[in-house]
Amino acid sequence: MGMKRRIFASTVAIVAVAGIAATAAFGAHQADPGITSSSIKIGGTFPLTGPASLYKTIPLAEKAYFDYINAHGGVHGRKIDFTILDDGYDPSKTVPLVQQLVQQDKVFAVMGSLGTAPGLATWGYLNKNKVPQVLLATGDSYWGFCSVKKCGGTTYPWTIGWQPDYPGEGKIYGRYIATTMPNAKVGVLYQNDAYGKNYYAGLRVGLGAKKTDIVDAESYDVTNPSLTQQILALKSKGANTFVIFGTPSPTITALVTATKVGWSPTTFVNNVSANRLFLLAAAANGASVNGAISTTYVESPSTQPNLTGMKFGKAIINQYAPALAKSFASGDTNIVYGLGSAWTFVYALERAGKNPTRASLMKALHSMNTSKNPFLYPGIKLQTSAKDHFPIEQEIMIKWSGGGGGDWHPFGKLLSGVR
Amino acid sequence: MRAALAARAGTLAIVAVILALLPFQLSNYHQGLAARVGVYFIAILGLNVLTGYTGQISIGHGAFMAIGGYTTAIMSADHHTNLIATLPLAFAITFACSLLVGLPALRFSGVYLALATFALAVSVPQLPLKFSKFTGGSNGIRTVDAPGNLWLYGVTWACGALLFAGAWLLLRGRIGRAFRAVRDSEIAATSSGVELPVYKTLAFGVSAAYAGVAGSLFVLATNGFAQPNEFGILLSLKILIGAAVAGLGSLWGVLVGAVFIGMLPEISSSVPLVGSSHGQDVVFGLLVILVMLLLPTGVAGMLGRLVRGRART
Repeated sequence: MGMKRRIFASTVAIVAVAGIAATAAFGAHQADPGITSSSIKIGGTFPLTGPASLYKTIPLAEKAYFDYINAHGGVHGRKIDFTILDDGYDPSKTVPLVQQLVQQDKVFAVMGSLGTAPGLATWGYLNKNKVPQVLLATGDSYWGFCSVKKCGGTTYPWTIGWQPDYPGEGKIYGRYIATTMPNAKVGVLYQNDAYGKNYYAGLRVGLGAKKTDIVDAESYDVTNPSLTQQILALKSKGANTFVIFGTPSPTITALVTATKVGWSPTTFVNNVSANRLFLLAAAANGASVNGAISTTYVESPSTQPNLTGMKFGKAIINQYAPALAKSFASGDTNIVYGLGSAWTFVYALERAGKNPTRASLMKALHSMNTSKNPFLYPGIKLQTSAKDHFPIEQEIMIKWSGGGGGDWHPFGKLLSGVR
Repeated sequence: MRAALAARAGTLAIVAVILALLPFQLSNYHQGLAARVGVYFIAILGLNVLTGYTGQISIGHGAFMAIGGYTTAIMSADHHTNLIATLPLAFAITFACSLLVGLPALRFSGVYLALATFALAVSVPQLPLKFSKFTGGSNGIRTVDAPGNLWLYGVTWACGALLFAGAWLLLRGRIGRAFRAVRDSEIAATSSGVELPVYKTLAFGVSAAYAGVAGSLFVLATNGFAQPNEFGILLSLKILIGAAVAGLGSLWGVLVGAVFIGMLPEISSSVPLVGSSHGQDVVFGLLVILVMLLLPTGVAGMLGRLVRGRART
């Protein structure tokens, strides 16, 4: 009896909700969903919990930037209403959450969602429904290529990424080694998936004829807690240059392990894992990090606090996300990433017209040309065209000095054509 | 007795009619949600055969869901197999795999079997990473096309109904009696001529095969995308929680157990009370504790008590 009543009650509730949703859908006919004269609704999925939760400062910084914009009148008078949902980096959770954003919350666009697998699990759905999936927080090249050319028989024109592409970054390290390190014997440690392999492929292209300098390449699985075997193998092959293409936690482990086994090569760390906080964590666990090399495309709150962008960022974080203030001050570049990504969204939205549509937003994102993003490294441009859907294609190399209390310092010229 | 049977058949018919009419009342989003409840329904049903009827605890059903899910994804991606045709395949392959695992594992019982299946839950999702050429590694693998929510709802609940009927038929007769005998006392069962290894392995196989079908549908409900992260240990625990909420050893509570784990995260995420991103976990955990305290025999136990109470007056 109780079950019948329960089922009856829940059926009534569900029907009522469905009814309201249907009415709402018929009500808004003229404009795209999620947009009114005073507001624009967007959302994204992020790992606030779980193995990749080190990235959770990104959406919080984005929200802080949108709050700042809203407090200053919004975009064309519209306040940005940004919903952050936690998918724990699990694609099976991303799918219902994205459906919730599109069908329940009726967002105008999905913005900034983090992770390659979560992105791949949802881009088919979003493109089929012509919902913009923009400024994805992953550097895989799918987002730039597959929105222009066919991938597996389909194009994904409603998708676009933001950050420089991973293979392009790998090429930078390859070229650097080939031109400045004549005695290099390269040992590579890469994550055993498309992410790690793409980086590794880029490195080989960058090395060119010097590919033969690679004495060994070892891979690891992301869930493998120990890297001792791989590191010992690289050391025993006589490598004096250590290139790591990993995600933050394994990278920290690799740095610590290398020092523990008495190996002191010249180390390269990929950008995704080169947040200053991660290197400090490695050093605190005994890793020797001096002389490590990486790349960046955003400003650093710890080494460049006097740049206009970092002063601006500090003011925003202090006012709208005070919980992040300490992390920002100690050099959490993921916060700068969030600010820069949110800036890009606002920039595109401003240029999508007084009454933006989903199509005009995409058009604005596909025709960017500005060096005004205050959070990007000075001189870096946001540039796209109908055929080029890679917003950032410049990076600067950075080197670590100062040991366990040290920091990254940029060197050399700004590098272009990172792809 | 006949009245009780009629009442049961009546309830079943009402539930079936509601389930059949439901999708036409629901928004597209809620159809997807209801389909996902159907996936859990099948998985819990399977676990109930093993844990509720045969008394063997498994914390590893997420692993069998992974096997079923990857079967569907790989068959569709590499061989363009019709999605519906992959479901019986998933059933068969998971059944076979579970026999391979079950033969040694079922020498354990009780908490030792639980630990062995736990190891399964932890290790199986690693396999796709090892054989990434075949399975797409951590980038996952996708079916050729992703079905819509109404399709999913229909297929999931049709499978649910079929498998429910199957479980009912299996459990009401000789085999079901043997299962229950094993659960109640292995020694007594053996001395009555029940061959323990045969029945334990059979229960394990059927249970796992149900989980395999659930895994297939789970992947289809994830836009046809299979990736190791989806099948973590939490999934196995969720199904065990669902089975406990449903009430072990009875098929009647399974629907409520499925709704519990399928809908609660959606509902509790909008509870403003707790606020933080962990809020929903807190709400979920509290409710599980409450259910265990107030309904130690699950929803099925409560229903049973209600029915008996009515019969007495």
